[in-house]
Amino acid sequence: MGNPDVKASLPRFGDGGRGGSGSRQLDGSPAILTTRLDAMIDAARKNSLWPFPFGTACCAIEFMSFMMAHYDVSRFGAEVVRFSPRQSDLLIVAGTITDKMAPVMVRIYEQMTEPKYVISMGVCACTGGFYRAYHVVQGIDEFIPVDVYVPGCPPTPEALLQGVVKLQEMIAKGETRYQRALAAKKASGA
Amino acid sequence: MSAPEVVVCDPKPLSFRQRLYLFEVAKGLAVTLRHFLGNLFARKYTVTVEWPEVKRQYSERLRGKHILLAKPDGSPRCVACYMCEEACPAECIHIEAEEDLASASVEYEKRPKVFTIDLLRCVYCGFCVDACPKEAIVMSRTHEMAFAGRDEAIVGLEELLQKGPYEKLDLGYRPYYGVARTRVELPIPVKPADRTLGESTSAAR
Amino acid sequence: MNGESMENRKETLAAIRVAFPDGGGVVELPGGDVQSFRVDRAVLLEFARHLKTDPKLDFKLLADVCGVDYPGREARFEVVYHLASLEHGRRLRLKVPVREDDAVVPSVYGVWKAADWFEREAYDLFGIRFEGHPNLKRILCHAAFRGHALRKDYDPGQRWLLREGEQDEPAWARESQEDEDHFETQVLNFGPSHPATHGTLRTVVRLDGEVITRAEVEIGYLHRCFEKMAEGHTWNQVIPYTDRLNYCSAMMNGVGYALAVEKMLGVEAPPRAQVIRLILSELSRIMDHIIDVGANLNDLGAMTPFLYMYQAREEMYSVLEACCGSRLTMSYVRIGGLSHDLPEDFVESVRFLLKRIPKLVDEMETLITQNRIFRDRTEGIGKISADDAVDWGWTGPCLRATGVAYDVRKAYPYLGYETYDFKVPIAHAGDTYARYLVRVEEMRQSLSIVEQALARLEPGPIITDNHNVALPPKEEVYTEMESLIWHFKLIMEGMKVPAGDAYGFTEAANGELGYYIVSDGGGKPYRIKVRPPCFAIFQAFPHILEGHMVSDTVAFMSSLNVIAGELDR
Repeated sequence: MGNPDVKASLPRFGDGGRGGSGSRQLDGSPAILTTRLDAMIDAARKNSLWPFPFGTACCAIEFMSFMMAHYDVSRFGAEVVRFSPRQSDLLIVAGTITDKMAPVMVRIYEQMTEPKYVISMGVCACTGGFYRAYHVVQGIDEFIPVDVYVPGCPPTPEALLQGVVKLQEMIAKGETRYQRALAAKKASGA
Repeated sequence: MSAPEVVVCDPKPLSFRQRLYLFEVAKGLAVTLRHFLGNLFARKYTVTVEWPEVKRQYSERLRGKHILLAKPDGSPRCVACYMCEEACPAECIHIEAEEDLASASVEYEKRPKVFTIDLLRCVYCGFCVDACPKEAIVMSRTHEMAFAGRDEAIVGLEELLQKGPYEKLDLGYRPYYGVARTRVELPIPVKPADRTLGESTSAAR
Repeated sequence: MNGESMENRKETLAAIRVAFPDGGGVVELPGGDVQSFRVDRAVLLEFARHLKTDPKLDFKLLADVCGVDYPGREARFEVVYHLASLEHGRRLRLKVPVREDDAVVPSVYGVWKAADWFEREAYDLFGIRFEGHPNLKRILCHAAFRGHALRKDYDPGQRWLLREGEQDEPAWARESQEDEDHFETQVLNFGPSHPATHGTLRTVVRLDGEVITRAEVEIGYLHRCFEKMAEGHTWNQVIPYTDRLNYCSAMMNGVGYALAVEKMLGVEAPPRAQVIRLILSELSRIMDHIIDVGANLNDLGAMTPFLYMYQAREEMYSVLEACCGSRLTMSYVRIGGLSHDLPEDFVESVRFLLKRIPKLVDEMETLITQNRIFRDRTEGIGKISADDAVDWGWTGPCLRATGVAYDVRKAYPYLGYETYDFKVPIAHAGDTYARYLVRVEEMRQSLSIVEQALARLEPGPIITDNHNVALPPKEEVYTEMESLIWHFKLIMEGMKVPAGDAYGFTEAANGELGYYIVSDGGGKPYRIKVRPPCFAIFQAFPHILEGHMVSDTVAFMSSLNVIAGELDR
């Protein structure tokens, strides 16, 4: 590995996950079968996200647009909306989360089975937006880890679709918070 | 108080046919079947926009990500007067001014040293555009954004400042001149033939 | 806007003086947009009863109760009541001052049931106690909250953390009520995250078998502190916040707010702006009814109409987006007019909608209106009598479904509604099915109003040229020094609204949307109280629910069109 060019062309390891090719394990050793299986599972996961719509406010109305025929998220394999956290793997927090709502949201996040991903839709969920106020959570990442932040007040359905596409890319690359935590755990275990 | 004219819409009694239910099922199915077959063979009722390949016609006033316009020499038009920062209900704009002695003129004495917008605080109300006395800040039609972290969303001068002719920028919400310059297209075109890839939005202005 | 003459005021005063002569604790306050009285709390209850029962007064509708904090005054707090007489078409405002060290007011719940949640809210946000209230506890803020948020000395950013397990539970939910006859009782918790509660409402019910024997509603899960935020922003900056009250029909909130502030300022929007406001308000009403009817059907399992109808919303979104640049939260209204003129082909696109929407409504009616399953599930569910509905403070389609033809557009016309030809849809059953019928008919009436309004769309200015209120045109700002100074002052200091108070109210999609505005003459509002229509409607919900089956809860709740944004603010 003396040649720096060769080194640069290799997939990146560490925090970023497995890198692009998927032909090596985390420690760099060739382990084709398991990584291929992982890649396949990731592909399956990313193309059949089951969202849990945690819709509380204005964003929930745009979330409806995103589900409805005009934008039709089923083209991205994420149309199976489940209102049970046990059956879903993507938490879409759509709307303002207040301090009163925060424990409910945390409980739902904890009830979701792994792997789980979080999209924070709209500026209220992301940072609190223009509600710098006594009853509003200033960003849901105070309580739960967030993978994708979608700005907008409310975001257009296209923006949320963009968020889903971005999440799918992240899953494929192994960059979601869940996958990174898993990778870190494996690396430290090994 | 005189009673207003009313239209009474009390329930109509169900007829025998309606109570029997079977005919009603057929009638309802006829409606849904019409949609189904119409879509299957003629795409008659299809309303789905095949995003991202097809994009619908956006309004020319769409309030998306901000743009800082530049003077012909490429420096920002902004004079760091803090009006947008003041007008912003979300307090998402942060400006630090500096004096620009080299190119100072009567019109431009100050310029922004730091100009950041937190896109995850912004509520896209367009008040900054209304407040700007120099038409330095306008909005683009870039609204499809997604970030992986909160820091990514705080954008500074280098990302906001857009050079080049206005026609090249995908301008959205701009100051009001009293002229209507935007178009609606209904029914919303959805078929790929209506709009081809890439040529998406900035055609008709 | 109130259609109130001096004679009316004299008549009301005379009828009051019969029972409460001068010096009896009831003082008439001069002027004001609404006839106002300062009432001593010692006689409040008696006075309230007199106002309600005297046939000459007949103030049966308690529209709003709110607190206002004046830290400088000896009597620091003021409780403000807004009353309406549907029979005589009159309005009244009562102000009850109380001291901070003795902030107790008798509860008027015994007179008007509508006071229930409004008083709880004033207790929560100001710490004013209402003696004799059956269930006086916090309503919007969570159980671990300390202090009273709308007091002027409360820091707007001061948060309190609520931990799991600290949430409020009704006391009765912990008691066991089983005996030999009722051995299948259980307490069931609906929401706040439940598909049928639309995200932010929580209902705790006690069941006996499948029948609900007791219910209590917990709200405040979307309390975003609109009123506190408004106090920290200039009059114009409040507009984006109003959009997020009833977000299904954002336009109407902005129009209501602008009308209320314009009333205080004494300015009026130009005729073109008024017509545009009216057209977009009516389109918003249709949008709101689409969501409500669609969600109601969706909750009952009929997904198809919602899917079909939603396309009409998308097309209306396109029109709104062309006008102001945003689909949902429009921020289109400015005080004194509008921000932009209409797009060139606005009229054609609205005409397209006028042709398109009736088709969709017809299609939905074919599927639903005479559908036996739908009727079986909705007829007789959530039934309320006209008297009860008024007593609870109901307005809007829900009240009209009980047979009361009260519509602010007819009773207190604004935006020139008196010149349009439309009818008020009513039904008599007062149940979920009647509400559905009224809403469907209202959509058709709104379409007819829009059609008439399109014909009146004349060219002209869209915002007032009073530069104490509205920003000067941009081309002047770029070139003229004076305009630039106006512009600068308006942005930096905000417009100056004369000191005083006013109650502006409009007919929003859910009913009477009121803004009680207090100004101290500064660039920012001193206090804005929103009277959200669904707040009054929803407080009756747990009481009507008793005796229903669990599955009826879903049908009933979504027919009330409770929008959390304006419910909790």
